[in-house]
Amino acid sequence: MADAKQVGRQYDVAPWEVERCKIKELALAIGDPNPIYTDKKAAKAEGYKDTPAPPTYATVPGNWQSNTGQFMADLGINYMMIVHGGEEYEYHKEIYPGDVLSGKTTVASVTEKQSKSGSKMDIVIIETVLNNQNNEKVLTSRTTIIERK
Amino acid sequence: MAQKLYFEDVKVGDAIPAVKKAPVSKDQIWRYAGASGDFNPLHMDDEWGTAAGMGGRIAHGMLLMGFVGQAVTNYIPKKNLKKFSVRFGGMTKLNDVITISGTIKNKRTENGENIITGEVIAADQNGDMKVSGSFEAALPNK
Repeated sequence: MADAKQVGRQYDVAPWEVERCKIKELALAIGDPNPIYTDKKAAKAEGYKDTPAPPTYATVPGNWQSNTGQFMADLGINYMMIVHGGEEYEYHKEIYPGDVLSGKTTVASVTEKQSKSGSKMDIVIIETVLNNQNNEKVLTSRTTIIERK
Repeated sequence: MAQKLYFEDVKVGDAIPAVKKAPVSKDQIWRYAGASGDFNPLHMDDEWGTAAGMGGRIAHGMLLMGFVGQAVTNYIPKKNLKKFSVRFGGMTKLNDVITISGTIKNKRTENGENIITGEVIAADQNGDMKVSGSFEAALPNK
């Protein structure tokens, strides 16, 4: 079960350089034909500085360069019992190729809930705030992890 | 693709144009694993997915959120999107055909910003809900 004493604990997000091809690769994998993700000219024509990161881009540094292993271990969560309950993004500023993202991940809350069938689970919310190289806040994410007990 | 959307042109109750995706394939799941960096065996390995009681591999939840994001930014320019959240429902399997639909729920002007909010759903060929979500966007005036 998730250790509620970990609420408030913070972890650094190591610097992550945003690459143009990684943006393109994500859009192609999703099958999103919007040219703003793959064609700088098309993006500029729509008022972007460059090909912007798609709405779910933050999952990329989240997986490739993750502090997940650390906070999951500190929380004492059993990987076999978890599901990804939900994901929430707030967009503060556009993310572009060449940006270097870094920030903090915080264990925001641990709440015990009971399902309709009576089984218990812990709902863990992990919040990450990402800043760019100019120290501008670009994105806040909140990940809901459900651990069945 | 959405290039411009004005606050005046959006009405509460408006439908977001539905997006019907191609059937989810192994190729797409592999590509998404590489793009996102999520190589959980639940997505990569049918035997593992079967052992975990899923009846084979399942698609990444975040791939489904990506589908929903595509539908949202097909309607609203990406730069106007302020908030986007989803809850994951049922598992998505190989060959599922996902359709994303949505509705505008609210419109208001707040601190000089024109805000619209909407709800979105991704469902499979049987109408089973895989993802439900909501979004908020700030739109320009004409």
